[in-house]
Formats: sequence, C-alpha cells, structure tokens
Amino acid sequence: MTYPFEKRYLILPALILLSAYGFTCFRVEAAMNPQEILKKADEARGNIEGVEWEIDIDSVEQGRQQQRTIKVTAREFNSLAEFLAPANVRGQKLLMIDRNMWFVKPGLSKAIPISPRQKLVGGAANGDIASTNYAGDYQTAQSSEDTVNGEACYLFDLSAVNKNVTYDRIKYWVSKERLVGVKAEFYTVSGKMFKTAVFEYENSINVKGNSNSFISKMVITNALLKEDITTMLFRKVVIKKVHDSTFNLNLMLK
Amino acid sequence: MLKAKTNISELASVFIENINRRFRRRFALRRREHKSCITAPRLDCLIKKTHFLRPFRVIIFFATILTWLPQSTLANEADNISSEAAEKTLAERLSLNFKVLTSLTIQEPADSTQNPGNNFLQMPGYNADLELRPNVRLDVDPLDLSIKPRMRLETSVWREGARKGDTDWNDDWFFNEWLARWKARENIFLSYGRENLQWGPAYLFSPSNPFFKDNGRSNPKREVPGMDFGRLVWIPTSVWSVSLIANSDEGRSETVSSDDFEKRYALKVDYAGRDNYGSMIVSHSEDSENSFGVFGGWTLSDAVLLYGEGAVEKGCRALYPRIDNSIFGASMQKVFQDDPAYKTTFLAGGSYTFEWSGTLTMEYLFYGHGYSDKDADIYYSLRRKAANAMNQEGWISALAKKTLGETACNGLRFLRQNYTMLQYTQNDIKDTLDLIMRLTMNWDDGSYQVTTILEHSFGNHFDLFLIASRNAGNGDTEFGSIYDYQCMIGLEYTF
Repeated sequence: MTYPFEKRYLILPALILLSAYGFTCFRVEAAMNPQEILKKADEARGNIEGVEWEIDIDSVEQGRQQQRTIKVTAREFNSLAEFLAPANVRGQKLLMIDRNMWFVKPGLSKAIPISPRQKLVGGAANGDIASTNYAGDYQTAQSSEDTVNGEACYLFDLSAVNKNVTYDRIKYWVSKERLVGVKAEFYTVSGKMFKTAVFEYENSINVKGNSNSFISKMVITNALLKEDITTMLFRKVVIKKVHDSTFNLNLMLK
Repeated sequence: MLKAKTNISELASVFIENINRRFRRRFALRRREHKSCITAPRLDCLIKKTHFLRPFRVIIFFATILTWLPQSTLANEADNISSEAAEKTLAERLSLNFKVLTSLTIQEPADSTQNPGNNFLQMPGYNADLELRPNVRLDVDPLDLSIKPRMRLETSVWREGARKGDTDWNDDWFFNEWLARWKARENIFLSYGRENLQWGPAYLFSPSNPFFKDNGRSNPKREVPGMDFGRLVWIPTSVWSVSLIANSDEGRSETVSSDDFEKRYALKVDYAGRDNYGSMIVSHSEDSENSFGVFGGWTLSDAVLLYGEGAVEKGCRALYPRIDNSIFGASMQKVFQDDPAYKTTFLAGGSYTFEWSGTLTMEYLFYGHGYSDKDADIYYSLRRKAANAMNQEGWISALAKKTLGETACNGLRFLRQNYTMLQYTQNDIKDTLDLIMRLTMNWDDGSYQVTTILEHSFGNHFDLFLIASRNAGNGDTEFGSIYDYQCMIGLEYTF
C-alpha cells in the first residue's frame, strides 16, 4: 500500500538527477557540438592561421624503406610542402590549395596539376591523412564514447559531406580532456578499413597567449598489409602569419 | 638577266650562310635545347644566342645587390644581433642545388623532303653531353635572388649526310635563368630577370601562354631557354591575383627566322577556388599581335581532373605556303601578319588516377594556326621541289636551301590543326622508378609519335634516365619529317 508513496519519493530524486544530467548535457553541447570539437581537434594538426614545420617521414612499404624530410607551410587547408631530403628530391614542392594540387619539380618547366589520389612519393602519399579536414569535409553520422589507451574519448563516426574526399567514412577518436584526435580509422567506399592512424601531441604552440598541444607524431598503418607503416615526426613547429603569397603559383620559384 | 641572277644568288648566299650557321647550331651543336629534337618534330625556331657580355652583366648586377644587402636589409634585421648571428641568418637563407647531368643521344634523321639525305639539317647521329647545373638562391626578406648558371660540354658525331664522319666539340657557359624579386608589400611583388615563365595545366601545348611555345614537358631533362621579364604581381585576396608582365628581351630564346624580337606585354588574372582554378591573359606585342588566352581546371573528384586552355589571336608572323610565280611555283609568306581576323586555338584535357596510382591523361588540341589540307598540299609540293633543287648548282640551290629553311622554321608550334595526346604516368614504382608513356597523334596527316620516359633512382643522389621517341609517318608528314627515332640515356647526380 505504501508503494505509491515510495514511488513518489523516488520520482523526485530521479527528476532532480535527470534535470541535472540534462542541464549538464545542455551545457556541454552548448559549449561544443561535434563539429566544433572536430574543428578544435583539427587545429592541433595545423588547421590554424599559419604554421610551419618540418616532417621526417619514414615509411616501410612492401619491405622497402623510404625516408623523406619535408618542410610544410600551412594555413587553414592550404599548404606548401617542400622536400628537403634526400638530395635527389630536394626542391620538389607540393602545393595544395584546398582540393587543388600542383607538383613542382626543379628542372620541370611548369607545375603539374595532380589529383588528390595521385601518389607522389611513397609514404608522403599519406599526406592525405595528415591533412584530412575532418570538420570541413565530414559530418558526424553517429557519436559515442570510447577509450584509447585508457583515455576517455569521443568517438565520431564521420561520413563524407561530398565525394571529393579520399575516404568515404572515418571513425575518429577525440580526447575528451585534450580535444585532440588520438586515433582514426579510414574506410573505403566499399566499407573496408583501409588505414589506421594514431596521433601524439608532444609539441606545443602558442596561440593568442595560450599554450596549445600540437601534433608531434603520426603513425599510419595499412589495414590490409600490417607491415606497411609510415611514421611522421613533426618538428621545428613555428606559428607564424602565413600570407597568401606563399600559396601563389606565380611566385613559386622552380 | 645574268646580273639579276647574280644578285639573287648573292642575296641568297648571304641568307643561306646565315640560316645554315643558325641551323647547324640549331640542329647539330646545341640540339638539346630544342623541343623538336626529342619529341615534337615541329620546329619552333628557337636557338641559343651566345651573349658573351650578358653573363658579366648578370654577375655585376648580383654583386651590386649583394654588396648593398648587408648594409640595408640584413643590417636592419640584424640590428640587435651580432654579426655572427647575421652571418648565420644569411647562411640559412642561402640555398644551393647542384646537379651534374651526363647523357648520350642516338638519333636517326628521317630521309624526308625537309632533310634529304640529312644534307640540309645535318643532324648528328650521336651526341654526348655533360652539364653542370647549379641553382643558387638567396632569400633575404624582402629581397629574393636566384641564379642558374650553366656549363655544357658536348661532342657530336655525324653518321649520315654532308658531314658524315665529322666530329665536333663544343662548350657553352651561360645563365639560363636569374631573378631579382622585391617584396614591396606582403601582397605586392616586383621582379626582373630571365625566367622560363610557364603556366597552364596542358602537357601537349599551352596556347594561353603568348611568350613560350615550348612548355618543357616533352623532355624533362632539357631546360627551356629563359627570356627576360619584368613582373608585378598583386595578390588582393587569397583567391585572386593579378600580374603585369613585360617581356623585354628574347634572352636565350633567340629565333632562327629573320624577324626581330618584339616586346610583348600581358595582363594575367588568376583565380584559385576550393576545387577549381582559372586564369585569363590579355597580351599585346609591339608588332600589333594581340591575344586573349584562358586556362582552367577542375578537381572533379578524388581521381578525376578536367582542364582546358585556349587562346584567340590576331595577327600571326608565321609563314604559310602560297602559290605564286616563283621558280618552285610557290613560296612561304607571312600572309596573316596584318590580318585583322582572329584565329582560335583550344585544348581540352582530363586525367584519371587509378587505385594503383597510375594516371591516364588525354588531351585534344585544335590548333587554329595550323595548315589546312590545301595549305599542306602546297607546303609538301614546295618542299619536294626545293629538295630536288638543293643539289643543283648556283642560285637555284641557294633558293632551295632558303625555302627549306623557311619550311623547317615556319614559326608554328604544330604544322596541322587536329591533335590528340594520350599519356600514362606511373610514379614511384617500387619507390624508385617513374614511368611516362605518351602517344601524340596528328589526325590530319595520320603521323604519330610514341615517347617513353623512364627515370630510376639509385640511392639518394643518382638518377638514371631514358627518353626514347619513335616517329611514324612517311616523309611528307609532320612526325615523319625530322627524325625516325631518338634515344637519350643519361645519369644525373645531385649533390
């Protein structure tokens, strides 16, 4: 007989808890929705006003090892990659103005327009992963939570906004605390997992007086051939204002 | 009558001597500078000019700037740092890229009415070449200096024709390119120098470029001779830029024809969007040749690129065959030099990149300046008559050689009007090998050219390369006129 009465007592705390949960959720969502989280995570990989860094790329593909050193100047989703080493590729440049890409080689008279799919230099082909625009090119189809190496993460299941991107679907883990991407899985149109990538953020950059984490290492593994691994080490990170002239073909010296 | 013939003979002899001297340099001694030697057989009449004083002018120019630099730009920057640090800064901004290239070319001249028995063009059968190619750049904001001095040593051996058995040695020292660029503001740049100024996405030909007929894509190991340009580049927004270009001198790109170089000015407006780009170019030369060119490209998908180039031009200095009362029944004439009519040239192309990263590219070119069927009939008839008369005595022989000089160097990039190019590219095969296979087809006379380019890396410094071309077509076709095959093999070392 007392049951309804007890139930009433239970309903009240439940409502309070639900209200509190709802309020908390509202606060989090109001503060950052998935796209904003993705955008924030992109910033830790160069999607900011201007950055310059050097990348040591060490790739192993079908048992063959290849090393490259590239100097990258980037702003938002424009970038200029200049090969510094080894000697026989020194001076080669890859200019990406969003989806437009050109390859410049010393000795070649003019820049060659290339498609995003076109592979250029071994492990550097993984540049498409390094430069993925998660916030701009993808939308969140589903979000959940997961952990990566014990770190609580948002797990976003991303689908391409349009067909102009290399990967149709990406699963992307973003650290809840640090708001940086820590892991990603890339899927082809057929639904097969193609590559996986893990990210480390030992570098830091100063943005408007705040010290922000910045990518220091990226390890990309071929999902089909597990021994094919590309390691990208990011160093000499410099935050600087990068002007439009950096990405202008008319001014590019061959 | 005899006196008239003597005068003609004297005039022709002077002309021929001039033309022959240039041709020998054009086809024999400095063969590698010209696109016709390795791929497209049309002759764009470009030869190098040895300007002994010009290298010294360039050296003095750069020395003056470098002398002034430490007192101005560097000093400003280094106000608060030690001279040691300033020197370090200078060292960091100085870059050197040094290549040594050696190659051997074997070629078989075609026995055609253009070059009967290889007695007219006198192309060598073998050519060995050693080149030193340092590229030096000093980037001291706001001044950017670069210079590309070149040293070339080559030897040629003749297997056929009038020079059969001859061997010739030649050395050449020159600046192929140099540039001084001043950043007036973050979005305004002024420059002057010798440049190979190229643009546009096309492989076969870039009709939107009024300055260069050779876009340098036919042979990646051959440098296109630079011309002298003054440029102002203004970048008002991240997607738009505007260039004012003045071509003040032919530089190393001297023409064989008797035409004087005419200065040319151009306005170029560029747009670069998210997945597309485009440009328009308006140009005017001092001999009243005007042109309007455009090019653009679109990244249609991850794998597909579409692009196009085109130009509308008024006035043309090229030579066209016309029937007249001359001894061969026709002659080469500048019939469109003052023609107010516009001629259109356009190129449409696209590429598809396969999953395995190989890329297939296809281009179609309509070359509005090219000869019609009627023009071609007169042209080949004239060539046949001139070839037959070349071995005769006296002024007829001289006139025949003059005529063959004009048919070889008519000022056109292509002879006819309809062309296609099919190309397959596969880079980084086993991380070391780059492959290009290219088929260029002339649909108007059925001749074609097949080219294979292989480049193999050995370690971090050595590259071995092979560039082989095979032409198909009889002697009265475009690709059958100059050579049957050509094979260039070489080694490149980068320090």
